[in-house]
Amino acid sequence: MQLELQNIKKSFGEGDSRIEVLKDISLGIEQGEFVVLLGPSGSGKSTLLNIIGGIDNADSGKIIIKGKSMSDMDEKALTSYRRDHLGYIFQMYNLIPNLTVRENIEVGAYLSKNPLNIDEIIEVLGLTNHQHKVPSQLSGGQQQRCAIGRAIVKNPDILLCDEPTGALDYNTSKEILALIEEVNQKYGNTVIMVTHNDAIKNMADFVVKLRDGVIRKSYKNEQKMTAAELDW
Amino acid sequence: MKNPLKKRLLRELKGDFGKYLVIFILLVLSIGFVSGFLVAGESMIKAYNDSFEKYNVEDGNFRTEERLSDQLKEWIEKKEVSIYENFYVERNFDNGTKLRIFPNREEVDKVCVMEGRLPEKKNEIAIDRMYADNNEIAVGESLISEGKNYTVVGLVALSDYSALFYNNNDMMFDSSAFGVAVVSKEQFEDYGDDGLRYNYAFIYDHKPSDDIEEKEASDDLMETMTKKVSLENFVPRYLNQAINFTGEDIVGDKAMMEVLLYIIIIIVAFVFGITINNTIHKESCVIGTLRASGYTISELIRHYMAMPLIVTIISAVIGNILGYTIFKNVCVEMYYGSYSLPTYVTVWSAEAFLKTTIIPLVIMMIVTYIILRKKLSLSPLHLIRRNLSGGKQKPAIKLSGALKFFDRFRIRILIQNKSSYIILFMGLLFANVLLFFGMMLPPLLVHFQGIVTESMLAKHTYLLQIPAGAVDDDDEMAAAFSYVFLLGKINTNNPDAEKFSAYSLKTIGEGGTRVEDVTLYGIQDNSRYIDAEFNDKTVLISSAYADKYGYGKGSVITLKEPYEDKYYGFKVTGTYDYDGGIAVFMSKKHLNDVMGLDEESFSGFFSDSEITDIDSKYIGTVIDEESLTRVSRQLMISMGNLMYMVDGFSVIMFIVLIYLLSKLIIERNVQSISMAKILGYSKREIAMLYIVPTALVVIASLLISYPILSYVMVWIFRVMLKQMMSGWMVIWLDPSAYVKMFLLGAVTYAVVAIIEYVRIGRIPMSEALKNVE
Repeated sequence: MQLELQNIKKSFGEGDSRIEVLKDISLGIEQGEFVVLLGPSGSGKSTLLNIIGGIDNADSGKIIIKGKSMSDMDEKALTSYRRDHLGYIFQMYNLIPNLTVRENIEVGAYLSKNPLNIDEIIEVLGLTNHQHKVPSQLSGGQQQRCAIGRAIVKNPDILLCDEPTGALDYNTSKEILALIEEVNQKYGNTVIMVTHNDAIKNMADFVVKLRDGVIRKSYKNEQKMTAAELDW
Repeated sequence: MKNPLKKRLLRELKGDFGKYLVIFILLVLSIGFVSGFLVAGESMIKAYNDSFEKYNVEDGNFRTEERLSDQLKEWIEKKEVSIYENFYVERNFDNGTKLRIFPNREEVDKVCVMEGRLPEKKNEIAIDRMYADNNEIAVGESLISEGKNYTVVGLVALSDYSALFYNNNDMMFDSSAFGVAVVSKEQFEDYGDDGLRYNYAFIYDHKPSDDIEEKEASDDLMETMTKKVSLENFVPRYLNQAINFTGEDIVGDKAMMEVLLYIIIIIVAFVFGITINNTIHKESCVIGTLRASGYTISELIRHYMAMPLIVTIISAVIGNILGYTIFKNVCVEMYYGSYSLPTYVTVWSAEAFLKTTIIPLVIMMIVTYIILRKKLSLSPLHLIRRNLSGGKQKPAIKLSGALKFFDRFRIRILIQNKSSYIILFMGLLFANVLLFFGMMLPPLLVHFQGIVTESMLAKHTYLLQIPAGAVDDDDEMAAAFSYVFLLGKINTNNPDAEKFSAYSLKTIGEGGTRVEDVTLYGIQDNSRYIDAEFNDKTVLISSAYADKYGYGKGSVITLKEPYEDKYYGFKVTGTYDYDGGIAVFMSKKHLNDVMGLDEESFSGFFSDSEITDIDSKYIGTVIDEESLTRVSRQLMISMGNLMYMVDGFSVIMFIVLIYLLSKLIIERNVQSISMAKILGYSKREIAMLYIVPTALVVIASLLISYPILSYVMVWIFRVMLKQMMSGWMVIWLDPSAYVKMFLLGAVTYAVVAIIEYVRIGRIPMSEALKNVE
């Protein structure tokens, strides 16, 4: 098991306004799996992703990555955990506005001792013709491709995607999903994707459905679809 | 792999050129101006200190009634001193000034030629450089005295007259009305005995090691000399204002400039703080993403510190270059405008470098580091969500629905940017400190000139001096005879003259104030000049004395004999309206009693008309309009340029701060402004929303700053005057200066507001659609 979550609990607020966002979540994720965390808004899926990503803390429970418990990590160790093992893609691209596409990807590559070939990534992302443009010269989809490039160039063990298509139109969303699928297959990273789009579950190896902070259903997808086959 | 974030730096500079430019200007001017001042000060003080050896400056001088015979000279020199003739004459010139003319000096108090040459022939004269500047006299021009025409062949600095004090007892010198000059030996001999003053310089064979030894040596020498020599004057170097004043003043100026530097550093640190804060606000999502991707806090701190540090370093380099060239020259000019200093060589000042460059650099680093550390230590999630307070979001303050929508909107902007506005207020307060200083001082001096002449005791107050050694203290009989002889010489037939007795004591330096002379006047009954009733217990202090030390009725003042361990205490019974000096008034009988003087003893005359029948050698000090306003006139001359520089500097500071801070406030709201445009608000409406709150803050800051500043500056000025200056200046704040300052602030903001208005117009609507969560 590459990643194990044991009895994760998380709540926000105090007293009457206290909301339990995650109620005793446990699950295990295999190396190279494409996992989709599915649920409506407020189900706790993004919080769970952030806890896995080490940018939020669980109130209780354990996260074990490659046999190492995250709860034993201090801030410095968490930073190096993210640096060495994780790639992050957000709904908003958060690119550095005064760096070009290529340079934004280099920002990710810099973090890795063993980065992937930048030219190859740019080509895979279909950004060869745009590599010298700055983010403001790109469409939303192109910006998200660039953000994916930044996340995968360091060849992370786990790629965390928080609603990566949330701000994109249908066609662009499918392009982005295809790209993440390709990355998953080509580089063998584990992908954990948070989405509220029910159709996306069809391309996952493993689907976890969350509602009100609990896992309502989790299952392995026997008949996976490709991103191109998805429709919604 | 090189950190790709480095590639941002140059683009960041280009993208935000305006912001970095104003910070650059602010730093270059501060570093340049202050380092120029400190370098000039150090170079000047070095030239001044070196001049003692280089020009063999005397250890003291004395003036005798008669020329010393060779035997007498030898006899004095047995006291382990060497004596040099330093005779002079004084001549009035047709331009209404007076020159003290010496033959060229070759052994002691040597002359530094600043321009031209020394006189070689008759009718040639080399005049003091500063006197020449103040009277606009150039080499080659002529000067006429008593029908005699002199050609100015050189401009010089006399090493024993770096400050042109006419009389060592004067409160201030006046380099416009009085100067020194040298002529050839031939020319000097031509004067014959006409007004010849037998002045001698002396140098100890073994230099005293400190002030106490110097005092002992000079006291000994004077005591010995008075046995055989009729002294008119005796001034050891440590008491000679013409030599010492300059050094003390340059050191004092340095202290003032350092205070200015600290103010500037605080402002600059503020500016950097808010700039960094704003950058983090602007980029918090990117920073959060980078942190989530694994960038360490230190890597990001280094990245965000780079630009401010690069700007500071470049500004420091350029500031120092300007400091050592242009600004230094300006400041040197200022010193040459106040003092008659010899030529100087620019010295490298490690202290100036440390204070103007290293310390600001370190402060920048600390301020930016602390802010970055604090903000970047927030969790990546907080950063991505732009929750920079780190904690829970405070609920919005409820605003009354009775308020108009626009007003509520503006209040929200005020609340949102409260930290920027607080810094704007602080910045304006500091910039106003400088402006206040520059604008208040000249009117204060003019006002002082006015009131001091209004409150004069008499148009002329003569304090007589008994030439040193004229009365033989050891032999009572001889003393009595000399006294009777002197009485004849120090009386006047002027009907306006009224005798008074006087005694000079010193303050005891209470509360760290400068020890200074206090003149005690003994007033005769029914005085024409002092409008007060005196009985045996009346002790009135001058209003200047009361103001300076905060004394009033019932206070007890303690005064001390200058060179003895003898103290006097007086209980103040009231104040007397006199702003011209630190003085105490009591009845003549009372004073003479206390001081153990003869009942009839007197020390001078008050007179509304000039007394002409007393030989000037018996007159120690004359207090008249000219002498009372000398301080303020000289301050105007020597500080005039500085005031303009301070004014200019503070205006630039004003512009920079207002520009920078209002720019930051607009920048922070770019997306909202863009959204407001999309919603259909006009440019004018948006400007009313975003510019008006800043305008209100600027106006309120200006108005609030004035009472604070008035209070603080008066307090600082009083402390400074108390510590640095003898005498007192009534502190008066010119109401019209407030109006000028306000207008200046308002006009500056109006210009910035126009720039902001244009900027608002340029914000694209697409901005609102980019990167919004």
